[in-house]
Order: sequence, then C-alpha cells, then structure tokens
Amino acid sequence: MLRFALTLLLFTLAFGVLSSSPVFSDLILAKVDRRIDLTSQIVRITTSLKVENAGSNPISEILLSFPENQAKHLAYLTATLNEGKGKGKASSGAGLPTEVVIPKDVPDSLTFYSVSLHKGLGKGESLLLDVLAVFTHALEPFPEKISQADIQLLLFQDTAHFLSPYKVMVQSVAVKLPEARVESYTKLEGTKLSGSELKYSPFHNIPPFSYLPIIIHFENNQPFAVAEELVREIEISHWGNVQVTEHYNLFHGGAKNKGEFSRLDYQARPYVRGASAFRRLVARLPPRAHSVYYRDEIGNISTSSLWGDSKKTELEIEPRYPLFGGWRTAFTIGYGLPLRDFLFESDGKRFLNFSFGSPINELVIDTLIVKVVLPEGSKDISASVPFPVKQWQETKFSHLDLVGRPVVVLEKNNVVPEHNEHFQVYYKFNSLSMLREPLMLIFGFFFLFVACIVYMHADLSISKSSASYLAKVQWEEVQATVQQIHNIISHCLTAHDKLEASLRDLSRTGDVQACKATRKSVDSLLKGVSKDLKPLVTFLQSSPQAAHILPKVEELIAKERDLQERLMAKHTTVVDCYEKKLGGREIENRIASNQQKITSLRQEVDDLMEFIDEI
Amino acid sequence: MAPKAITSPVPDSLYPTLSVLTLAIGLVLTASFFIYEATTSRKTRSLAQELTTGAVASVFLGFGSLFLLIACGVYV
Repeated sequence: MLRFALTLLLFTLAFGVLSSSPVFSDLILAKVDRRIDLTSQIVRITTSLKVENAGSNPISEILLSFPENQAKHLAYLTATLNEGKGKGKASSGAGLPTEVVIPKDVPDSLTFYSVSLHKGLGKGESLLLDVLAVFTHALEPFPEKISQADIQLLLFQDTAHFLSPYKVMVQSVAVKLPEARVESYTKLEGTKLSGSELKYSPFHNIPPFSYLPIIIHFENNQPFAVAEELVREIEISHWGNVQVTEHYNLFHGGAKNKGEFSRLDYQARPYVRGASAFRRLVARLPPRAHSVYYRDEIGNISTSSLWGDSKKTELEIEPRYPLFGGWRTAFTIGYGLPLRDFLFESDGKRFLNFSFGSPINELVIDTLIVKVVLPEGSKDISASVPFPVKQWQETKFSHLDLVGRPVVVLEKNNVVPEHNEHFQVYYKFNSLSMLREPLMLIFGFFFLFVACIVYMHADLSISKSSASYLAKVQWEEVQATVQQIHNIISHCLTAHDKLEASLRDLSRTGDVQACKATRKSVDSLLKGVSKDLKPLVTFLQSSPQAAHILPKVEELIAKERDLQERLMAKHTTVVDCYEKKLGGREIENRIASNQQKITSLRQEVDDLMEFIDEI
Repeated sequence: MAPKAITSPVPDSLYPTLSVLTLAIGLVLTASFFIYEATTSRKTRSLAQELTTGAVASVFLGFGSLFLLIACGVYV
C-alpha cells in the first residue's frame, strides 16, 4: 500500500514537470470539503466541490478520479448540484449523469468518472457540486483474526489531499468515527481528534493528482452484515397480491473469529465477550405487508417480531445464533403486498413500481439477483432501472400454468442501501387472459362429469344374450314403466289438489263459474290419464319381472280412481249447495261421509306412491 | 397522464364469502346431478339434462375452487 502511494507521488512530480493538458487546467476547485463517514461497515464519502471555470471555454463535464484500489470497492456514485449557499443545505434535484471515461494523458492506476452538467459552466462562473461516493469492503480488519474477547479494529486508508485532475485551492477533511476509540491515525500538521470526529486542518494550493496517504486504525462494532448472494423473487398475481420471497446467504464481513466460542461468556457479558458480533437485523418492509414468514432449511424461525404502521412495516429478525466474524447463515424471508400499491396502468401498458435493493438496514450485498415473475400471457416486457444492471428473461412454471410465466431477471454486483430506489417493469396484458385460470378449473370439473355420464351410458356387458343380462334389461324396462305410471299418478294428484283449491276459493269469493270451469278442465285431464295408463298396465301384466309390483300398482290405480270419483262428487255437491244458497252447516252435513273416505284414501294413495318410488 | 392503480376484479375481502357461496351452489348442483343419475332408468334418461346440469355445476365448482385457492393465500 505504501509502495503504491510512493509511485503515485513520483507520478505526480513527473506529471507536474511534463504537464500540462489544457483540458485539466481550465477548471479550478476553489473549495473542497470532504466528509468521510466511517460509522458503519459502508464507507460514505461526501465531497462538496466549488468548481470555478478559469479557462475561456464553457465546460460541460467535470472529472472525478479515484485510485484503482478504491475504485474497485466503489458501489454507488452520485453527483448533485447544490443550489443553496453554504453548507448544511441539502442538495435538491436529481443526480447528474456520471459515467466511466478514460481520458488521455493520465496516470494508469486511476479510474475516472465524468459528471455531465445540464448547462455548461461559462467563463469565470462557479458552481457547487455535491458528490456522494459509497464504498463497500473498504475497511480492512487489522488484526484479521480475533478471538471472542478481542475488540474489532479496522484499517481505513485514504488520501488527505483530494485526488483530482484539477488544482485545488482550499481543502478540508473531516472523518466521523463510530466510537471515541481510535487506535492510531496519521498525524499531520494541525490534526485534531475531538470525541469521535477527526479533523485534518485545511490544505492550501494542492496541485492536480496529488495524493497524501492517511491511515486510520479504529474500533468499529457495527454489524458487518454482508450478503454473499441475495435472490429476490417478486411474483405478481392479478387477483390482488404481490408476493416477495427473498433468499439470503449472509456472513459477517469483519475480523474473523478464531479460537473457541464460549456461549456462557457471550450470554453473561455480551458487550465484553463478543462486542463485534451481531444478533439482530432490522428490515423495513413496505406498509400493509401481510403473511410475513421467516424460515430456513430447517423450518420456521420464531425469533422475530413484526410491527407496522401506515408508513412502513418493521420486521426484526434474530438468526438462530449470533454471527461472529466469518460465520455464515442462510434464511428466507417472504411477505405479500397488496397489488394496488405497486401495479399501475398508463398508456395501455401496465407497470410494476418496486424497490430494487434489500429491505434490511445497512446490508452490503455482493451479488443481488432480482426476479420479477409476471402473469402468464404478458407481452412486450421491458425493464427500466435507474442504474446499470445485467438483465435477461427466463420462464417459471407455477400454479395453473400452461406455457409458463415470463420472468425478468436483473443482476447487480456490489449493492448498498443507496440502491433502494424504485425500478419499473413494463408489460402488456389482456384482462381477458385472467379468465384462463378459472376456465382450466371448469374444464377439469366438466371432464369429471362427462366421464360420469359416459360410464352410466356405456353398456359394458360382454354377452348380450345371457340370461342375467336379459333379466337386467327387462327389469330396467319395468322400472321405467313404473316410473311413468308414478309420474302420471302424481299429475292426477296435482289435479285433485287444484280441485280442492278451487273449492276453497269458492268459499272465499263465491265465484261459482270459475269453480265450474276448473272442474271441467280437471275432468278432461283425468279422462286422458286413464287412456295413458292402459298400455302401461298391459305391459306390466305381460312382463314376468313385475310380478311383485303388479298388485300394488293395480291397487294404486284403483284407489286413485275411487278417490277421483269421490272428489268429483264432493265438488258437484258443494257447487250445487252454493247455487241453492244453502248454509255452511248444511254443506258439511252432506259431504261429511264422503270427506272422511277421501282423506283416508288420499293417505293410502300417498303411501303406495312412496313405496313404488323406492323400488 | 397520471398512472392508475390496478386492483383485482373482485375486492379482496370478498373472496372467502364468494368461495363459500359458489362452492355451495356447485355442490348442490353436483348432488342433483348424481341423484338424477341414480334414480332414472336407462330409457327415461335425457342426455341434454345431464350435460346441462354437469356444465352449470362445473362452472360453479370451477369458480368456487379458484376463489378458495385465492382466499387461502395461493394467489394463482
């Protein structure tokens, strides 16, 4: 590391001598404020630049440079224009586009990023630029292996001078440490350590590409949760749910644990024996998350708690064991979300608006794979992500699928919580395709019914002339005939009921004519019935199978006929009485005996009908 | 044009009630289908009635089982 710094110093001198590409001397950084945040495992460097255009041409891009070994840890870089005056004002507006460039005439071991300005910086003008650079794995544990009782010390190497292709007039560096415990730090002129903040006094007139290495050796007990691989699967169902399943493969990225692990020591005094280990992780899920589960290969993990309000749902999970340096764990978190919060429609296309990174706080992800599973029948699929990712499409077979569901897979390396922005996946879907699923189920059930019908209709007997087959056929015919007789008799009985009803109407309204009309229609009906019954009874008499049924049937027909006659007689009597305007008592006397017989006959007929029905 | 949120065609809270209702109707129709099959003889059976009862029963059973799956959390 030191050798690298020395080579860089030599380069600077050599470069200063050979000099000077006109491009780089156009811009001057009048004031640079660097704030290095080391309070968690993720290193965040916020740089406020005051850029002045000292040349004659308007400038439309500004170059930022990072040494190579730092650039390979760079996870996230944004540059925003700071409209407000003075520090303390948050920069507004979206980030400016940055991209990697390789300019000419520059030292080899630097990586350059170019920030494009919307409107060029004119001659003599100046602007304020806020740059946020986020680095992962930039803190090296030193010593690399510690025992349970040791404290975790980390090494951070950076430059005190702002490494830039432009000349810097004034520059200050402030380092924020997590605790007041610093093992050692590079002491330059005017360095001050107050509490947990380390300030280097301002440097003046720094030439371009100057590098002054500083090393800070400090204690950091923040959780070093690193996910080696995280697979997030987001499944959309148009029936009202977005199901998110996240598979984590976590390890502790700090100093590796050596020696034995004493559970007794850890539980008795966790902050002394095992200060660098972490026990809990907190995840911030979207509001209205339901059906949250937390499990791993063994089964459900019950050490978790969930509480939510209208802005977020907070899930606190505790893995089965505390994680010391180098230890790994793997688990799955899943939850469901209401569809209307995330799926929208505009311009005929539907799109899903979802967050890209992991919901767990302060988690570094080495490889993040996001899979968006769209319903079957989605077409014209495209994804728009605010930062560069690798994407491709797959197919997944899930419930009630014929051809499989299209899956958009997005892969990104080195992901930090700053990447938790929303991305969109656009697709076209015909609403009628939703009916495919119930139609599949309907056809399944219908197939069962058709199979039933086919089975009942099929004649599977092998020999068509055996005695048992013939007997069965005859018996079926007898059954059919008896059923027909049953139907006819029930028609008769309904006609009887109609007669009785007309009598009741007569007593209520006194309308004799309507009564007579009803009797006439019923009469004709019953005449037709006796004609229909004749052939059926003849068939039954001829068939040998019906021997035990025949007497009952004949009895039924006879009783029914008797009932019919008595009812007609009663009806005629009552109508006559009404016409003669006789009193109620008189009517009752005349029909008394008939009525008794009628009721008993009716009861017998009903019993016989039931008996016949059950054969 | 402001994007419009997409919701399911049936409100979420109605799925359990709908599934019970449609399944009940479907099962009643299935029962009537099988009663018809059992009580009629070969001569008096009518294929049209069998097919219609089976079709209507399978429609209700299909939707009922779909809503049952969704109400249980299997969002197909």
